[in-house]
Amino acid sequence: MNKITKTFTSVAIAVGMVSAVATSASAAEFDGVTLKVATWGGSWKANIEKIIVPKFEALGGKIEFVTGSPAANFAKLVAGRGRAPFDVMEVLDAQVGDFAQVDFLQPINLDLIPNKVNLQPFQYNETYVGSWNTQETICYNTEKFAELGLAAPKTYADLAAPALQDKVSLPDINSGAGLANFGGVIYAAGGDEQNIQPGLDLMKKINATKFWTRGGETKTQFESGDIYAAVVHAGWCTRAARAGSPVMTVHPEIKPGVKGLAKEGWLGIMKSSENVDAAHWFINEYLTTDFQYEYAINSGVFPLNQDAIEKMKTDEINAKLMELDSGAISSMLRLDYSKVDKTSWIDGWNKTLTTN
Amino acid sequence: MENRWIAYLIPPFIVTLLLVAGSQFVFIQNSFYQDLGLGRTGTDLTLVNYLKFFTDSFYLKTFWITIKVSAIAALLTLFLGFPIAYVVARMKSKLAMFLLAGIVVSTFVTIVIKVFGLIIIFSADGVINKTLLNLGLIERAYSIIGTQEGVVVGLMHFTIGFSVLLLYSVVVTVPPSLEYAAQIHGASRLRVYQRVIIPLCAPGFVVGGLMIFNMCMGAFTSAALLGGGRVLTLPVLVQRTVMMEVKYSTAASIAFVLLVSVILINLFSLIAIRRLRSARLVVA
Repeated sequence: MNKITKTFTSVAIAVGMVSAVATSASAAEFDGVTLKVATWGGSWKANIEKIIVPKFEALGGKIEFVTGSPAANFAKLVAGRGRAPFDVMEVLDAQVGDFAQVDFLQPINLDLIPNKVNLQPFQYNETYVGSWNTQETICYNTEKFAELGLAAPKTYADLAAPALQDKVSLPDINSGAGLANFGGVIYAAGGDEQNIQPGLDLMKKINATKFWTRGGETKTQFESGDIYAAVVHAGWCTRAARAGSPVMTVHPEIKPGVKGLAKEGWLGIMKSSENVDAAHWFINEYLTTDFQYEYAINSGVFPLNQDAIEKMKTDEINAKLMELDSGAISSMLRLDYSKVDKTSWIDGWNKTLTTN
Repeated sequence: MENRWIAYLIPPFIVTLLLVAGSQFVFIQNSFYQDLGLGRTGTDLTLVNYLKFFTDSFYLKTFWITIKVSAIAALLTLFLGFPIAYVVARMKSKLAMFLLAGIVVSTFVTIVIKVFGLIIIFSADGVINKTLLNLGLIERAYSIIGTQEGVVVGLMHFTIGFSVLLLYSVVVTVPPSLEYAAQIHGASRLRVYQRVIIPLCAPGFVVGGLMIFNMCMGAFTSAALLGGGRVLTLPVLVQRTVMMEVKYSTAASIAFVLLVSVILINLFSLIAIRRLRSARLVVA
């Protein structure tokens, strides 16, 4: 009887050990983990769903999205006093100053982001890892300019031509591109972060028909003939071109030696996140060549990954409408948002540029 | 008997109070603290946000534009909505029910879809501009985006369905026999309108007009999309203050000014109309 019991016990232990080993072998890296990502909807979310989500699911995890602009997501964070309903978030360069005033982000362990080798050193630090950038341009309708006898614009001041009155769309200061482009106009008009009046005067002179809040609006307006020129990032102009609009981009002359304006996107991990490893994994995947290229093509942003930039050169429309030279991209104007007094910029804008 | 029925109103009243008044109280309370930006507020009670609103010409002009476009939109909507409501109310065929159903359905179509429809119609290549250009009435395509006129059109588009339904319910309470009686006694159709229909519908016009005005004062989407960032109304300004500047206290104070002003405008309008009617009765 004892022998039977001993044998049975030994077999049971052996089976238990084998099954335990088997289970741990099949346990995936992110079993049961739900990573919440705050990003835009539309193509932004679709790109992640197409390339990153299947990989994460293969590792046992699940990705959920909190869609909205970075401004909206920041407002959610503030309302929740930092208790974020997401783990990782898209942050705009213009928000870096805001985040510096609150304690919502946790340090990023750069050792867990091996794909940072695809970036330039200034594109990552211990709080943020760069995700994309945009080339803020003047996009104009070549046929309409020819009809009006206008030469291609070189800088923002060219948009103030009488023939273009009510035919120009500029980014609203409330939009994601608002501060960056307003800053570009300020610099081009001879001002700087502290002296915004020259920029306001020039904006008033341009007399935009509309201040857009989403870049996609300009594509529709080019198609409907409502506008002949817009200040918008090159990605939206390439989309308009792909849709058949006769458009071309100009990287505006901002000041001597500086041509063009860049806006940077970053990724940050929320302090309240309990899925820190998964968040690092996500950021690393964001930097792969495949994803960066897919993002650039579908969402019109510019990749940071050097191999993806090389791939961009194979596309005729990209080559025509975007600046693909690394040196030229690096020398574009990037605003120093730590010097921007957002309240006074918005106040000046409201008082000067709204019909109120 | 009446008291027993009133008891049934208590549960919905409590729910409304908790959900609406409760949340509003928290929001409004926030407006009495100094805004330090990024959602942070001071600790001492203060009227600084309100002082800024009433001393800054930008806020006052925005306030005035909100009232102006809402009032114009409410008046024009009543003016357009009444003939439709009257015709439908006096129809004897089943077509009336179809028309009413159509109005109800169109009223509940999301405003974003409606506004984009307007944007397409009024675009440079849209039907209206093309027609006017072909007729030689304008030299250059006219855009309603970014103009106060455009915002008024958007607000009218938003409220016209409600106005027809409201006015329909008023017109059906006026017995057609009164119109026949007036006509039998020699009144022309115009006179019947002037002396019978409009006076009897007047209370409905006032209440309907105020309801539409209230809707316009709080309307965000039409004003945001058609204002094109150039025409700001108070609801748009509240959104911008929260989203762009993350200034909850300032936004709360603007929202509270909007709420109180709507209540006061409604009260004063009703009092003025009651006094006017009393004076007319005394004269009569």
